[in-house]
Amino acid sequence: MFKFILKRIGIAIPTLLILIIFSFTLMHSAPGGPFTSERKLPEQVLANIEAKYGLDQPYYKQLTNYVVGIVTKGDFGPSFRYKDRSVNDVIAQGFPVTLKYGIWSFIVAVSVGVSLGIVAAINHNSVFDYLAVGFTIGAQVLPNFVMAPILVIIFTLWLGWLPGGGWNGGQWQYLIMPVIALSTSYMASIARIMRSSMLEVLNSNFIRTAKAKGLSNRQIIFKHALKPALLPVISYLGPTFVLMITGSVVIDIYFSTGGIGREFVNAALNRDYSVIMGITILMGILTITFNMVVDILYAWIDPKIRY
Amino acid sequence: MMVIGSKKITQMAQNMANYEQGKSHSLWVDARRRFFKNKAALISLIVLTLIVIFSFGAPYVTPWSNEEIDWSILGSINEKGMPSIASKHYFGTDDLGRDLFARVAQGTQISLMVGFVGAFIAVIVGTLYGAVAGYFGGRIDSVMMRIVDILMSIPYMFVLILLLVVFGRSIIMLFVGLGLISWLDMSRIVRGQTMVIKNKEFIEAAIAGGSNHLTIITRHIIPNLLGIVIVYASLLVPLMILTESFISFLGLGVQEPNTSWGALISDGAKTVLYERLWQLFIPLAFFVAGLFSFFFIGDGLRDALDPKDR
Repeated sequence: MFKFILKRIGIAIPTLLILIIFSFTLMHSAPGGPFTSERKLPEQVLANIEAKYGLDQPYYKQLTNYVVGIVTKGDFGPSFRYKDRSVNDVIAQGFPVTLKYGIWSFIVAVSVGVSLGIVAAINHNSVFDYLAVGFTIGAQVLPNFVMAPILVIIFTLWLGWLPGGGWNGGQWQYLIMPVIALSTSYMASIARIMRSSMLEVLNSNFIRTAKAKGLSNRQIIFKHALKPALLPVISYLGPTFVLMITGSVVIDIYFSTGGIGREFVNAALNRDYSVIMGITILMGILTITFNMVVDILYAWIDPKIRY
Repeated sequence: MMVIGSKKITQMAQNMANYEQGKSHSLWVDARRRFFKNKAALISLIVLTLIVIFSFGAPYVTPWSNEEIDWSILGSINEKGMPSIASKHYFGTDDLGRDLFARVAQGTQISLMVGFVGAFIAVIVGTLYGAVAGYFGGRIDSVMMRIVDILMSIPYMFVLILLLVVFGRSIIMLFVGLGLISWLDMSRIVRGQTMVIKNKEFIEAAIAGGSNHLTIITRHIIPNLLGIVIVYASLLVPLMILTESFISFLGLGVQEPNTSWGALISDGAKTVLYERLWQLFIPLAFFVAGLFSFFFIGDGLRDALDPKDR
């Protein structure tokens, strides 16, 4: 197990480095520097600005400075657009918001999805099962950017129950729509995976043995069937996490929640390279770490997996 | 009793004889028969055909183009911009007074094109990559697949946006970006299938016959992968459309005056609180109908081409 964890970390670190080098090289090779604009700056001013941000140094030097800054101090450098803000400021401001509704969405998607899948599988071919399957099919075409306006139409425009946007320190009224919009389609995917794997497990021999021994349904499901049936769901958690992080951009834009996504899109529209890169790398770190944890968890639950 | 039995046997023998006289069923004929038996897939195919006809035929039906602004209704879109036959804005207008009918038609073309081009790149790159990795195996395979693993664990949407920012937001760049990420899953699937195929006797025969690696891969392995590649590509089209819509929703994808389903939904979503719901629901209806059709067609193809998978 220990060796497996080491091996897994051994993959994660180069992946991260590749991501950093790739983004940095992309940024570096962009046509026109970050300070080229319609109004041409005087030569000397441009040279001074570039010297201030270290852009006059050779490529490899800039790259090593950047990597060393991230690794040793967690410093993503200054923003190229706002003189008084560093990338770390931008992240520190938006990230807690993203994290809050992101974690809620993840919890809702996993818990509701798993329960829905289990109940549908136990009541196979019942009305409930058909409803659940219908939901999982329908939710395929309801990504977050479709859910968000529909929720606003229903809960703000027609019913007037919830505010149409804003954050307000993360009060529950402001949290509901972002969480539903972000979690629905992944909830459906998790429910579909859970249902089919539960059905498969319930038809296997060891469950028949458990039934023959006269165990109650509750014992069979929770003590024997649940753990093996959860395995495919766990391997789906990594992708879900990535997609949710990505989806948070839409939530921030549409609900004006003030998370990191709004900054990301603004930076993309303003060509504020260092902010885009900083957020991309932060998301990369999160994703890669999360995938690693999921893999280790998977190997821990399923001893057959050794790769 | 005996008589009935012998009658049955005679008939069965006759059936068998007739069957052998009849045309032999190739894989593709069989698959087509199975596909057309699948009602959901068939209806989806019809819906999709109608959508395509609409997107190319709309310019002949409406006097408005997708760029023209109808100045007479600007400023009073809530009252006059509604979908109506009288004003010839069959789907109403958008916020700037442009005809939504023409815009939806144009956006549909772009979205479908993005879907097909993305899937096409995935088919070409993913199939070759996966087939090479699976065929050679060993160290080549593990290096190639490790690269895929690494690429897959990167939050690609952010990298895609980074690409769009650095090289400018254009539809070509969008295709390149989508192409860069779309082939990863395909290559894994193809690799797995190749590893099964390469141990079959006919490959051994090809080797014995003196074919080189390139010929074996392109002439013997890839044709046998076609079924699974088609199935997966058909499921990839809606995913590409979803990705493009996501990026266009953020305003980073298709740029004005061109549009796409995602951009139209984004425009409509911004105006829901002004009660111009048609601006959201009409593009959304096309988006939902289109994606559903693709998913059901993909499912139908899977059942048709890969029946053992069920």
